Amino acid sequence: MVKYIFKRVLAMIPQLFILSILVFLLTKAMPGDPISQAFIGNPNLDPAVLEELKEKAGLNDPWHIQYVRWISRLIQGDLGNSYVHKISIAKLLGDRFSNTIILGLATLVLTYLIAIPLGIIAGRYQDSWADKMIVGYNYVSYAVPLFVFALLMLFIFGFRLGLVPTSGSVDPQVTKGTMEYYLSRLHHLILPATTAALLSTVGTIQYLRNEIIDTKYKDFVKTARAKGTSEKVVYNRHILRNSLLPIAAFLGTDIVNILGGSIFIEQIFGYPGIGQLFVSSILQRDYSVVVVLVMLSGFLALLGTLLSDIILSIVDPRIRLED
Amino acid sequence: MNSVDLNVEQKETEKIEAPTGLAVIWRELIKDKLALFSFVLLIGLVLFIYIYSFFLNQDEITKIDLMNIFARPNAQNWLGTDYGGRDVFGQLIIGARNSLTIGFLITLTTSLIGITLGVISGYFGGWVDYVIMRFIDFILVLPTLMIVIVFVSIVPDYNVFHFIFIMSLFYWTSKARLIRSKTLAERELDYVSASKTLGTPDWKIILFQVLPNLSSIIIVNMTLNLAGNIGIETGLSYLGFGLPESVPSLGTLISYSTNPDVMQNKWWVWLPAALLILVLMLCINFVGQALKRAADARQRLG
Amino acid sequence: MPLLKVDNLKVHYPIRGGFFRTIKDYVKAVDGISFSIHEGETYGLVGESGCGKTTTGRTIIGLNKATDGKVLLDTGSELVDLTKLSRKEFRKYRSDIQMIFQDPYSSLNVRKRVRDIIAEPLRNFESLTPEEEEQRIIDALAKVGLGPEAMFKYPHQFSGGQRQRIGIARALVINPRLIIADEPVSALDVSVQAQVLNFMKDIQKDYNLSYLFISHDLGVVRHMCDRIGIMYNGRLVEEGTTEDIFENPQHLYTKRLLSAIPNTDPKKRYENKKLREEINREYEAKTRQFFDENGRIYDLKPISATHYVAMP
Ligand SMILES: Nc1ncnc2c1ncn2[C@@H]1O[C@H](COP(=O)(O)OP(=O)(O)OP(=O)(O)O)[C@@H](O)[C@H]1O
Ligand SMILES: [Mg+2]
Repeated sequence: MVKYIFKRVLAMIPQLFILSILVFLLTKAMPGDPISQAFIGNPNLDPAVLEELKEKAGLNDPWHIQYVRWISRLIQGDLGNSYVHKISIAKLLGDRFSNTIILGLATLVLTYLIAIPLGIIAGRYQDSWADKMIVGYNYVSYAVPLFVFALLMLFIFGFRLGLVPTSGSVDPQVTKGTMEYYLSRLHHLILPATTAALLSTVGTIQYLRNEIIDTKYKDFVKTARAKGTSEKVVYNRHILRNSLLPIAAFLGTDIVNILGGSIFIEQIFGYPGIGQLFVSSILQRDYSVVVVLVMLSGFLALLGTLLSDIILSIVDPRIRLED
Repeated sequence: MNSVDLNVEQKETEKIEAPTGLAVIWRELIKDKLALFSFVLLIGLVLFIYIYSFFLNQDEITKIDLMNIFARPNAQNWLGTDYGGRDVFGQLIIGARNSLTIGFLITLTTSLIGITLGVISGYFGGWVDYVIMRFIDFILVLPTLMIVIVFVSIVPDYNVFHFIFIMSLFYWTSKARLIRSKTLAERELDYVSASKTLGTPDWKIILFQVLPNLSSIIIVNMTLNLAGNIGIETGLSYLGFGLPESVPSLGTLISYSTNPDVMQNKWWVWLPAALLILVLMLCINFVGQALKRAADARQRLG
Repeated sequence: MPLLKVDNLKVHYPIRGGFFRTIKDYVKAVDGISFSIHEGETYGLVGESGCGKTTTGRTIIGLNKATDGKVLLDTGSELVDLTKLSRKEFRKYRSDIQMIFQDPYSSLNVRKRVRDIIAEPLRNFESLTPEEEEQRIIDALAKVGLGPEAMFKYPHQFSGGQRQRIGIARALVINPRLIIADEPVSALDVSVQAQVLNFMKDIQKDYNLSYLFISHDLGVVRHMCDRIGIMYNGRLVEEGTTEDIFENPQHLYTKRLLSAIPNTDPKKRYENKKLREEINREYEAKTRQFFDENGRIYDLKPISATHYVAMP
């Protein structure tokens, strides 16, 4: 097991390496460099001085030298600076990163809170009226694009009904640390998290439903039934135990998907996280930030898949890890 | 022989008489009420959009008319006007046409890449397969959306073809995987071995024997993909990283809602586009899912 | 001079594993077998499931790659080693060797009309006018006892036995000299089996065909074959004429295989069972005598002009 994880982590390195080169080259290809960008609208600046500044920042070096400089700093944990915000990227990320993580976790929890009961009901009462509704919901949530759904949710609950705030992660008026502050955060979180969760239940519901239906007809369940075990016990003890655990394996993929969706969710709900930061950084050509964000997402995605594989191998002994 | 028996027999011959999957799939589709309704609605919408847009003058619609900004829906502007006084209904039709066309083109290009690589990977196996699969694994863990956005924002003289190209680079992988696994199963069947021993070249076996047998899977996948691609395109256009400004998309109209005033008070600008996307997505998906069930059922039957 | 000579053929499938899919081990599906097939002869390859019969057949016709050894085809003017040919080079000899597949359902593409199925080799090797092509197809169908109206039907409109005939017609249409038949009747109803087998014998006489007849059914093999090779774990344990094998089996494994043939005569059943038990006991006792210390089968040694047995 340890050996497997070690190997998987090792295998991530070349992927991250290729990703870093790809992303670095892409951002180098972006029109406009950050120094000139930062002085736009400053007509007093002598072009010679600008050139000097660029030279100093190393922007005129060949790309591979810039890359090596950047990557060796990155490995040491130095994310560099944002030229637009004039602060270190680590600082810039700080709050936003935790905001995104909080939103992601809330989404994840809600996803399972919705998906698990629905999946169980659909599987247990297969072909019933409730099952048909749930399957219908699944079809719809699979079909609807996230950004359209998010906008409609915001329009209805935020603007029309005024139930929740329409942007931000917390009311700027409240002081940090108070009860009010946490309530305000929750209030800001509820709509984006619910929205994202409602659309990310598809996989879990479908999996759980199929799994339960399959297990229902397995021999050991039939035996338990034949022995007169009550239906409730059959479900709690036999079917669910076998069906619920593997859901954990979706965790990684779910994390990856939720992160991917965070660009839309944060942009639409005005939620200050890394998705929103990414969009604004692109628009402001703040490329040092863009690079870090893409790398970060790539890294998280790799971790997510790794997590899924590991959990899967633990809960499902049928899947043997390649040593 | 009584009449009941006769009936059964007739049904049976009917079932085996259709050698191509398409006829069976079509029969399944019209059995499913919701899918049939979706299909009819979809065809109606698509025809309406293309025919109507044919008679529209894009220059006239995108001409700014400051005397008539944010007009509510009225007899002349069925869905009112936007901040530039431009007719929303006309933009909706043109945007829908563009989104559908480009979604379709992206589906075609990604299918071309995905099917080609998938079938090569599955049919030949060995190191070719290994290289292609590792490449796909790599692309699959990329933060695709972000990279597409980066690409879109750095291309000079950005136009529609750039967009289609960029999307095609990243969105062929799952199709390639699907086709590969189906090809793997198919190539183990003796008819492929038979063709080999009969001296038929590999490319002919792939093109005229294996691919036709995958056609129903390909059609299902392309249908669902079409919906997915329209979703991604409109989403990116909503963020401002999709179609260029000269080619308005449904997402462009929706992006006006970024302004809270438009969102709250001028719903006629963005809501129709959002609802149209919703309806298109649902219709295409319902049809696709019904096709999928039909194809699966056919496969179960053998 | 035999038509086909298989010389120390080995086919090892690599077992890959680990992260970089490196080769961990090999399945030695065929591990050094030699035999020859003469013109007009039927050579039977018999053995239990998984012993490598199919692999042997598929390797001879170039569907699998040989790991080692030779497959020599006598083209009349020269001896060609088929294992050394690329698929392109193999094309020249396609019309000499053809194959009949086990499963008449998967070996015909369901989407193609019988006409196109049978025309496939013709279109690959001969440039015929549509009329000539049609005539050839009608002839081929007639050879296998089907009427010309079959041309326009799809495979699913035929029974298993008829489908197998279509498969045979497809193999025959380019006039091969050797046909590899891999369990050609095992997927068919017993009632149809005899019919197809007899018909295969008929066309053999008419066209002076050679068969490599692969089967696990000793009854069928006895009916069909002139000479027989008994295969076990990728190697031959015994080879001889049908008479040698059935009347004078030498190798322990052959004896056991023969004793497992179900006897249809109910009176002899008890006797048979006793015989079987006895052979099984002998098998346990004498294993050492027929397998070396690694459990590997010895090379074949002649015990008569036609009869070979794997012995130390
Ligand atoms: N593509 C392959 N990769 C790895 N191993 C294989 C492959 N094909 C066959 N084998 C193995 O090679 C051995 C011989 O298989 P083969 O199909 O030749 O047996 P067979 O005698 O034809 O059996 P049967 O009577 O069941 O058809 C078996 O152990 C099988 O598992
Ligand atoms: Mg076999």
